Amino acid sequence: MFQNRMEGLALALPAAVFAAIVFLVPVGILLSEGFRAEGSWTLASYAGFFESELNRTVFWRTLKLGAIVTAVSAVIGYATAYSIVTLPPTARGRLIGLVVMPLMISPVARTYAWIVILGRTGFVNETIVWLGLSDTPIRFLFTETAVFIGLLQLFLPLMILSLISALENMPRDAVPAARVLGANWLQVFVKVILPLTKEGLVIGGTLVFTGSLTAYITPAILGGSKVLMLETLLYQRVTVANDFASASIIAMILMVMSFSANLLLKRLATARNKR
Amino acid sequence: MTSRLLSYVTLTLVLIFLLGPFVIIVAAALSGGETLAFPPQGLSFKWVMKVFEVESFRASFALSMFLAIFGTLAALVLGVPVAYAASRYRLPFGETIRTIVSAPIIVPGIIVGLALLRYLVIPLDVGVGVALFIAHTALILPYAVRVVSASLDNLRSDIEEAAVILGSTRVATFFRIVLPNIQSGILAAFILGFVTSFNQVPVSLFLSGPGVRTLPIDMIWYMEITYDPSVAALAALLAFLSISIVFLAERFLGFSRYV
Amino acid sequence: MSDETYLDLSDLTLAYGKTVAVDRLNLSIRKGELIALLGPSGCGKTTTMRAITGLLRPASGTITLDGADITHVPANRRHVGLVFQSYALFPHLTVFENVAFGLRLKKLPTAEINQRVEAGLAMVGLSKFHSRKPAELSGGQQQRVALARSLVMQPKVLLLDEPLSNLDARLRLEMRTELQRVQRESGVTMVFVTHDQNEALALADRIVVMKEGVIEQIGSPEDVYNRPQSRFVADFVGFENIFPVENGQIVTENGRLELSGAASVNAPGLAWRPNMVSLGNGRFEGEVLGAAFAGGSREYLLMSPLGPIKAEMDAAAPVFEPGSKVAFDLPPERAAVLERM
Repeated sequence: MFQNRMEGLALALPAAVFAAIVFLVPVGILLSEGFRAEGSWTLASYAGFFESELNRTVFWRTLKLGAIVTAVSAVIGYATAYSIVTLPPTARGRLIGLVVMPLMISPVARTYAWIVILGRTGFVNETIVWLGLSDTPIRFLFTETAVFIGLLQLFLPLMILSLISALENMPRDAVPAARVLGANWLQVFVKVILPLTKEGLVIGGTLVFTGSLTAYITPAILGGSKVLMLETLLYQRVTVANDFASASIIAMILMVMSFSANLLLKRLATARNKR
Repeated sequence: MTSRLLSYVTLTLVLIFLLGPFVIIVAAALSGGETLAFPPQGLSFKWVMKVFEVESFRASFALSMFLAIFGTLAALVLGVPVAYAASRYRLPFGETIRTIVSAPIIVPGIIVGLALLRYLVIPLDVGVGVALFIAHTALILPYAVRVVSASLDNLRSDIEEAAVILGSTRVATFFRIVLPNIQSGILAAFILGFVTSFNQVPVSLFLSGPGVRTLPIDMIWYMEITYDPSVAALAALLAFLSISIVFLAERFLGFSRYV
Repeated sequence: MSDETYLDLSDLTLAYGKTVAVDRLNLSIRKGELIALLGPSGCGKTTTMRAITGLLRPASGTITLDGADITHVPANRRHVGLVFQSYALFPHLTVFENVAFGLRLKKLPTAEINQRVEAGLAMVGLSKFHSRKPAELSGGQQQRVALARSLVMQPKVLLLDEPLSNLDARLRLEMRTELQRVQRESGVTMVFVTHDQNEALALADRIVVMKEGVIEQIGSPEDVYNRPQSRFVADFVGFENIFPVENGQIVTENGRLELSGAASVNAPGLAWRPNMVSLGNGRFEGEVLGAAFAGGSREYLLMSPLGPIKAEMDAAAPVFEPGSKVAFDLPPERAAVLERM
């Protein structure tokens, strides 16, 4: 440790000042707009926001999809992660690489593929018509399902990676011990795997949940204006109606959700360590 | 063993789900037909060639490259001193500084873009391009700090003291002793920042306009106009680009150590 | 070794924030001496060493080296060398470049640098190791590179932080001999810091025993070993029976004993090593609580009117069984007289 703390401060200041001015200040002002109406501080704008049925629908839909994506990714995540950790090391490394690969590709590209697959002339529909399951193409795009699938594909790798990490840190003999004592797989999962990998589940869950809440491209491309989520609503309100008050409110909601999730994560992580 | 079979089936299905779309994009990109479809009607490189001809793609590609390279460099110029200070000194307001510098990760990008548009670009008449540059730098800063910090934490500070006692100044010590030993960390930070910036969408949404668009935004815009496979070709090319960069990084740097 | 003071620490007070680590320390070291700063962790020895190097600025006091006041001279301009406990070699440089580092900073001509580095490496027996990197060396080899790196700078004082602690017994002996040889050949003034009394006794010309930021005793190894001046030092060098004295009696919370008539001790305490306690005859009686064979000797734990006493007899002497009563004495003429308790 070096003694001269002022020296250290001087080194750190440019970055801190930059971040504060360029980032904190504008964002702070933006958020404060939600609390002002006609020159005074009030929560009226918030009340007004939630009076609109569309806004409420969008709000709940965002939360709902976030929760469903998280839950489904947890289930699939566990199965996948468990399968991966039981493989020998070289195969494991390769598979982790394959799981990570999508993360490096632009979300635009990843989401775009679904148009090809789910569109009216897309792969799925062509197959369905060809198999004779339906006479006309089914509308998959611009539905909540499409957004759900898109989000799931986007964030599933994050959950899988978190769970792999958690499973690798689990004592190796815990599962065989439980099996020998007579537990079936469901019991093994609930009583052994789940408690021991709680931390990884929380980390993965937070990443997936906040990611889904604050996603833009996927809801924009796959949901369009028929299935609005909070971020796409925000964009629409600003570009179409110049409605910055709503934008500020939505921004605040998104930030509170994001921030709370991060806080929850920190809290749970340190609670675990105390034991 | 059935559980082994179950494992394989699960893995296969999940991998198809995760990677299938990528395969489809590549196939669509090589399509010989006129519209976006899968399976492709015939194979051809014409859409891949078309990508290079579209004027706006070239322009937005250049902009995205510029932002990725120089934004990351700027983030490193700001971030390396912070990481060093946090690692080697007991900073006054240490926690606060750490939080401020990491904040951009927590705030959704779209909010940053909007805030900058409203309070920097419009009132102060700062150009959209400049605002984009600032925004990208701010967004990459937390990643730069985090990765370089990991590197610094692994480097003992007593070699710096040894250099000082042998007659070196603090500044010279930083360049002769510290930097050479955190090289791979800085490179890893650069790659991470580059990829993050290049793929970034939300922040660039509001800070775009005719002639000033990052590549992902341009792709979205193009998709709204036409349905031809050149977007697929572009997406495929970009995907290959990202993957190769990260693959090479892992090969030569052991990238995953830092992230 | 001249008699003049070469390195002088005067009323030196060192602190970390509000905690005082070293309190008004005074120490004079002669040119060419080998000094050991000896004490338990937290006693201030490492802090003092860092102050001499300039890595720590004193809160008050002065440091004078070779006639010049260096108290406020920055660490990179003092002519002081430091061999770190962790060796602190530069991982990205070869052995040659590590040793040459300081010389290059001085912008000396290449020929001279090469010559001095060669000489340095030869002095520590690593002539063939030029192009190795630190990671390829053993601990002992790394230490020698660190030593060469400091020595080629021809420092006025060479400081060493726990030079022998990380080494196994055989290497320790080798390194000790090495350090003595280097010091003899180069004549450099050396100060080393250690918590191990055996290292200090073996190497040093003078030992400075420290406790909680203050010097307890300065003396030659024989002085410190045989004539500790305080309870702390006596305990540190192995006097296991240390008792306060009042009015010609040894007084502890368990009881008291008359000292033998002739000696009237005018000091607050007396200390005996286990082998100074006479067992088998004496004016007092105690009970043997435990006996342990230790190769060349036998160690005993006695319960006496004063409380527990540790004694040691030659292995060939008659054995006293645990549980038996035995006569013993604490002859005051054999004791170390403590000036402070």
